[in-house]
Amino acid sequence: MTKNKNRKIIVFLSVIRRRYTWLFFLAPVIIILISIVIFPLIFSLSLSFHEWNVIRGKEWTWIGLENYKTIFLYDPYFRSTLKVTFLYLLGTVPLQFALGLAVALILNRITTKIIGFLRTTLIVPTTMTPVVVGIIWRLMYNPDLGMLNYFLTLFGFPPINWVGKPETALPSVMMADIWEWTPFMALILLAGLQALPQDSFEAAIVDGASSWQIFRYITLPLLTPIMMVALLIRIMDSFKTFDLIFVLTQGGPGMSTEVLNYYTYRYGFKFFHMGYASALSWLVLVIVTVISISLIRVLQTKNIAKG
Amino acid sequence: MNIRTLKTAIFIIITVLIFIVILFPPFILFFTSIKTESEALSFPPVWIFIPTLENYREAIQKTPIENYLLNSLIIASSNTGIVLFLGSLAGYALARFKFKGAENISFWILSIRMMPPVAAIIPLYIIMKNLRLLDNPLSLIITYLTFNLPFAVWMMKGFFQEVPKEIEESALVDGCSTFGTFWKIAMPLVAPGLVATGILTFIFSWNEFLFALILTGSKAVTLPVGITSYIKETGIGWGYMTAGGVLALIPVMVFTILAQKHLVKGLTMGALK
Repeated sequence: MTKNKNRKIIVFLSVIRRRYTWLFFLAPVIIILISIVIFPLIFSLSLSFHEWNVIRGKEWTWIGLENYKTIFLYDPYFRSTLKVTFLYLLGTVPLQFALGLAVALILNRITTKIIGFLRTTLIVPTTMTPVVVGIIWRLMYNPDLGMLNYFLTLFGFPPINWVGKPETALPSVMMADIWEWTPFMALILLAGLQALPQDSFEAAIVDGASSWQIFRYITLPLLTPIMMVALLIRIMDSFKTFDLIFVLTQGGPGMSTEVLNYYTYRYGFKFFHMGYASALSWLVLVIVTVISISLIRVLQTKNIAKG
Repeated sequence: MNIRTLKTAIFIIITVLIFIVILFPPFILFFTSIKTESEALSFPPVWIFIPTLENYREAIQKTPIENYLLNSLIIASSNTGIVLFLGSLAGYALARFKFKGAENISFWILSIRMMPPVAAIIPLYIIMKNLRLLDNPLSLIITYLTFNLPFAVWMMKGFFQEVPKEIEESALVDGCSTFGTFWKIAMPLVAPGLVATGILTFIFSWNEFLFALILTGSKAVTLPVGITSYIKETGIGWGYMTAGGVLALIPVMVFTILAQKHLVKGLTMGALK
């Protein structure tokens, strides 16, 4: 009797084991991600309904939606940072995309062995430590001894106070960003171009299509999925820009380069208004999520999403 | 000269120009780091000079740059080790087992990777403060899991899907346990992918700035944060800073060249091979 029962338990356990092995493999990651991402996010959502200044008061004070109300109605800086954030996005990603596509199309015509070296070069700015990118550009932008002003004076132009003036600071940070990420765009698009099926091109050439026609009616449509992926990645990363701004301008002069990301950091870790900063950080999260989900939807409806 | 050679010439010139624009800034960093202070600060710039390692020596003597390096190394390698083990386990589960919600779990993990770090840093700071882990390498080893773990799961899932599962199935039939099959048979098969994933997670940890800036103060400072501390109100120590910048770039560049075959795949989260 007991033997039979034992066997039943063993069979039951082995069924459980076979059916739920995946759970043992997956559980560590899920538990970790819940405790270091989901729990903290809920924590900060709750904090965003409180007032809590680490330096002054020790207690959390419930204030409901007050933080969000202040952000939307009374905080003029929020509007300015929002504007800078979108200006930054619009001033960098489309240019990176256009330049990256041009570079990819040029490199795609190189068939000699040197392409390996060129491709490696494209990766250099992409994997480079972003803080170091900032340092390099700060060095080049230096109004007194920087390379850029040296070249300007060499060709007879007046020197520019690149990151030191509100009018030129934002474009200067954008230029560094464009230098950093255009090669990345080119790299992805080049990989896409090289993976395209060759037969449609051959057919087009046989039919006597011009190179513009080939580009417009064959290359572009075939490349669309990859272009979307590249754009999606860059748009989402654009909202995360922090290191470059920290090293180059610290958000200044004035508020001219203060993106939402940086503003949130300052509220939390310079002014120590943790409740208000949490509300801001949740807005960043919502904006990024809404934009990425709608972009992914576009990808999926065109039935070109992968993986 | 006919039109064809002219076209080729223009084409070559443009290509060369593109690569000068990409490579010129890093070279300026390197050259400034091996100049003496007066050469570095002269305008117009000095092009011909005797290279010196003075800045590197001074950075080591006068600033704790070797601590920054050591911290970065400890944090990036510990994080990579954890991430590779757990990420492979989860990636294997998502690639091999059939269960309800696998797609949703994959997508959930991917979406965590997309999260802006600034959204998590405020609560993570408060949590680390309460755990008394501020300025402790452990806090960064843990918080870097937020972006590296989803990355590794997603990458490893892709690599496991690429290898045929017949070998594993026959091992299972021969009585090998599921974990044994995973560890002894599947893992060696994806070794190249594992290395590529490891290199990329190492680079991501090594380059990270925001979390390190907020969670460290003096003892656990990493290299990127350490270098920016040379920017002071009174001026910038260009010598230290450029030397530190070059030191930060060396491992990244070595790894980049080693893993370049898999980099496009990694940088697009597997959307492209």
